[in-house]
Amino acid sequence: MARKEPAAAKATSQVLIEQLMVNVGKISEVIEKEGQSIFGHANILSDEEINDYSLEFLELFVMVLHTGGKIDRRGAEFKALKEFFTNLSHQIQLRGGDMDEFVRYIQFLERVFLDNLQEDSDADFSSSRQILLLLASLFNDIVLDVFHAYLEEKERTIEAQQEELRQTSTPITEIWDGVLTLPIIGTLDSQRTMMVMEKLLSRIEQDRASVVVIDVTGVIAIDSQVSHHLIQMIRAVELMGASAVITGIRPEIARALTSLNIDLGGVTTRLTLSEGLKEAFRRMDVHVSHAGQATQ
Amino acid sequence: MTQGMHLTPIGDGNVLLEPGAGLDPGDPAAYLIPVLEVLQTNAACRLLYDLKNVPLLDKVYYEWLAALHTACRISGIELVTVNMQPEAAFALSHLLSGPPPFQCARDVDQVRRRVRAAKKTDGSGAG
Repeated sequence: MARKEPAAAKATSQVLIEQLMVNVGKISEVIEKEGQSIFGHANILSDEEINDYSLEFLELFVMVLHTGGKIDRRGAEFKALKEFFTNLSHQIQLRGGDMDEFVRYIQFLERVFLDNLQEDSDADFSSSRQILLLLASLFNDIVLDVFHAYLEEKERTIEAQQEELRQTSTPITEIWDGVLTLPIIGTLDSQRTMMVMEKLLSRIEQDRASVVVIDVTGVIAIDSQVSHHLIQMIRAVELMGASAVITGIRPEIARALTSLNIDLGGVTTRLTLSEGLKEAFRRMDVHVSHAGQATQ
Repeated sequence: MTQGMHLTPIGDGNVLLEPGAGLDPGDPAAYLIPVLEVLQTNAACRLLYDLKNVPLLDKVYYEWLAALHTACRISGIELVTVNMQPEAAFALSHLLSGPPPFQCARDVDQVRRRVRAAKKTDGSGAG
């Protein structure tokens, strides 16, 4: 059964639609002009896109008003309007646009209708008040939605960047048949150590590696939990039948390990990555020499 | 054949143990004597425990391996695990506070290479 709407509420949306219909050319022109001044100068949106978006906005806005005086937040029309702004916000973000300007543009759209209302001398106080409340409520919802979409997009970008950083900060390379090198750069935390460990063990299986050289020259800090994880990593490597050599332990790290009473007694360590590789070759019975020396 | 596993002599005193789905690691006593009998019958000096089809090593399974290692050591036989899977190594490394008592190798070929290298070292040392 259809719900009966209050007469005043119905009149509000009707008044707005009528005003819009009478002044659609003027409103459309003002909206496009403002859009061009905000998004056109930085080539964020082309003139054609701005015109299309302005028309689409007006169409969607009228559709929302047609649903009645009281906006149905769950209705398809209102959802379509919100989706329009969310998509536009996404596009502006992708093209490097400023969100502040976009929000100001939405506020400008609201102001256009208010200015239009001011010019309409027929509207009485009560009707103007209703229109004002309706517009404020509607545009506030849109701004909030755009803000949420913006935050979600930012979070997705940050997560993607973090993942990329994690992937690139632990490049495992097969430097020789059966020899893997793993340079670790930056701060090692438990989560990262676990991720490195998983990747390393998979690579050992995939490449049938015999020796893993873990270079920690780029590690600037270590705590007891991380050193524990490092030892676990070496143990897991050995359980798979490979052996591990740690290289490049900086004096600060060595001092930290000593003060933490971490025993690296069972772990082979070498001063530099080059020394570590020599140790790996020795274990694999590989002899590397200068061409001159080999022929002698 | 010992129930729950395949034991195959693969030469050079090596016997390969491939655990099957019927193996119950929670009951080591049921397997130790039959396994040792096969090893002694074949004059084995090394038992290669194939972990290729063991996806996860928990405390119970580790204790079974440790018990098998102890029994083998008493009989003068070395236990070497081979083909440990990354997930199993990851899980076991979290259980252990030190290195395991048994040897670990990547595969059977690696064990053979190690044995050859050790013999070479012993030979050159004696010479």
